[in-house]
Amino acid sequence: MSVAGLFDNDYREDGFRTCSVTGLEVHRTVENHVKLFGLTAVVALLVGGIFAFTVAMTRWEVVGLLQPSDFYIHLSLHAWNLLIFWMVFMEVAILYVGGPMVLGRRLPLTRVAKAGWVTMVVGALATNVAIFTAGGLPNENAPLLTAYAPMESPPAFYAGVILFIVGTVVAALPFFLTLWRERREHPSQSLPLVAFGAFITSIIAFEALVGGLVTFVLAFLWRVDLIAWMDAAVYRQLYWTIGHGSQQINLAAMVTVWYFLTHVVGGAEVVSEKVSRTAFVLYLFFINLGAAHHLMSDPAVSVGWRIFNTSYAFYGAAFASMIHAFAIPAGLEAGRRKRGLGGGTFGWLTSGPWTNPVFSATIFSIILFGFLGGITGVVMGQMQINMTWHNTFATVGHFHGTVAVGTTLAFMGLVFFVVRTMFQRQLAFGRLASLQPYLYAGAMGVVVVMMMYAGILYGVPRRTAQVVQSIPGTDFSLQAAAPLFALLGVFAVLAILAGAAFVVVAVASLLVGDRVTGPGDNADLVADGGDGDDTPVHAYKMRGTFLICLVFMAVFVVSYVLNWYLLTELWSVGT
Amino acid sequence: MSSPLDTPEGDWWNQAVNRREAIWLGLTGIWSLAIFGWMSAFTQFGDQNPVGDTFRVSATEYQAKMQSYREAAGERDGALVPPGEDVFIAAYRFNWAGTPVVLETGTEYDVHLSSYDVQHGFSIRPEHTLSKQMNFQVLPGYEWVLPMEFDEPGEYHVICNEYCGNGHRTMHGTVQVVDDL
Repeated sequence: MSVAGLFDNDYREDGFRTCSVTGLEVHRTVENHVKLFGLTAVVALLVGGIFAFTVAMTRWEVVGLLQPSDFYIHLSLHAWNLLIFWMVFMEVAILYVGGPMVLGRRLPLTRVAKAGWVTMVVGALATNVAIFTAGGLPNENAPLLTAYAPMESPPAFYAGVILFIVGTVVAALPFFLTLWRERREHPSQSLPLVAFGAFITSIIAFEALVGGLVTFVLAFLWRVDLIAWMDAAVYRQLYWTIGHGSQQINLAAMVTVWYFLTHVVGGAEVVSEKVSRTAFVLYLFFINLGAAHHLMSDPAVSVGWRIFNTSYAFYGAAFASMIHAFAIPAGLEAGRRKRGLGGGTFGWLTSGPWTNPVFSATIFSIILFGFLGGITGVVMGQMQINMTWHNTFATVGHFHGTVAVGTTLAFMGLVFFVVRTMFQRQLAFGRLASLQPYLYAGAMGVVVVMMMYAGILYGVPRRTAQVVQSIPGTDFSLQAAAPLFALLGVFAVLAILAGAAFVVVAVASLLVGDRVTGPGDNADLVADGGDGDDTPVHAYKMRGTFLICLVFMAVFVVSYVLNWYLLTELWSVGT
Repeated sequence: MSSPLDTPEGDWWNQAVNRREAIWLGLTGIWSLAIFGWMSAFTQFGDQNPVGDTFRVSATEYQAKMQSYREAAGERDGALVPPGEDVFIAAYRFNWAGTPVVLETGTEYDVHLSSYDVQHGFSIRPEHTLSKQMNFQVLPGYEWVLPMEFDEPGEYHVICNEYCGNGHRTMHGTVQVVDDL
């Protein structure tokens, strides 16, 4: 297998090679499948990114690019390609990295993996085509991400989604078999943390995918008239098992990638296996309860149900995220102090390899996810505050804070890493590659904040083609929010350009990038030193991390109090 | 070296935890319980809770309710004046039945929300203070009775914030709140 020379690394006779960057024993089967899924993900990113442009240029109503009917189709394509296809193809690749690659095993059942890939690709294509050709009212509506029953979307859409979900489960089977065999062979040996994180991710994913399968099979049967009626509230509850669950896959996969990349390119170590693993176990138990966040302002679920679930059972999963928020930077701080890389309070951070886009993308992802996506997720998930966020543009701000500047940015760093270490190519356009995470994080960060302001301060709804400049049939409009949308429009263009720069750099590197010919070519990726030091890693100072976390907590508390203040200014509602 | 790519060595469960990490665990644990406690307690003493009775209702049943409500209601400048403290609003593609409606400050109304067709979003704000807005999901098949008491007079605008089809953006209704009705 040597398509365009992309699958032809030198392996020993047993099919393995030793990675000069990670030191892992990498088998040909694993590496080739990681490449396959990773490349497919980048194609989905490209497609979804094109629709990001048309969607943003419609929401910037001064430009007003699309008619409403086209807008909802483009918005659906933007959502499915970025929130689902780009993410999930990457996540299968991450399972193969976290499982067989980290454990130094070959990928079993390669035919199953390929069958999964083919099914996923066919499903993704069918979904795209069905959305693109949706004819509108009465029963060919654009589905957006949610396809809320009883509004009807084309049957082929549901069929495409079902195929994609089935394909994903199939593609995950080789991962599960790998772990099964590993445990059988080494029953008393703990998994490495990254493999453990991947395993937790896979279970969370399995829950979400099974929920999704139930949802979309039922919806499909309803659409082809095999079952009579779809209850709106039941559908919502079913749908969000995958609707939010899929985003929890992103979270768990991203956190795993954070541990992986901060270690490899930054020199981070695990400061406490116990604490980090406990946090992953908390995710396992509680994170999928977060699906309830979408039902806070719903009529059909009780108060007790809402409060228990929205809080992930007493904030078990938010607590877990705040544990990672300390453990990952602390790992970097302690690991780099141990290696003698930077003193003082923040020297460990400022001395980092900031021109390496793998490093900068990872760090920006950690910071922006926490401050923009994480805090807002918990705040808007409070049952009462949700009334002021529900279905507003602020919600869109929240999940661009998690998925765009969080997960997508981390995955961009990971793709660059895969280009360097697995495709064995130097990054093309080196200066642009170095700048790319800065441009994307900066521009997208502004976009996210503008979305939140537009939603919270001006009540601008999500999912609409027109509301700021004018609302047809009335003099009323949300014109006061127009300046925010001017900023949003400009920075969205910049963010999309930065996204395009990512694709250009990644693809050009594969096609024309210099080949990595020996360990020396990738030496800059490795954080070395510190091997001779026997001091346990938890004994190093974590002063800088602690200060950063205190700032984080202060921002969290202030956001929380401000949101509650805004809420209590409202007229009274509810029993 | 404690690498996340290697099997941890020795008795990793009993290794010490850095003092600052332990403090952080305490802080975040307390914060988690605090915000849970506040959210729960606010349902008891707070004035803004998305809580009300819910009933199953078919579209035809709700249409009948709307019909008898309209017949009992008065009229003022083309807007409905509810006959009592019950206010009925129905969402359908692409309008808000039951609006415009005139309400008064200081009276607690029971606002009934439902939909004749697909899911909609009831998003309401006063004309001149856009930051004061609240939003509720409106589902066909369910009648949600939300008590609401306005404290400031003025024109309130209702728009739909759940995608409901190509005419979604045109859904608009008004609620006029006056001091004395």
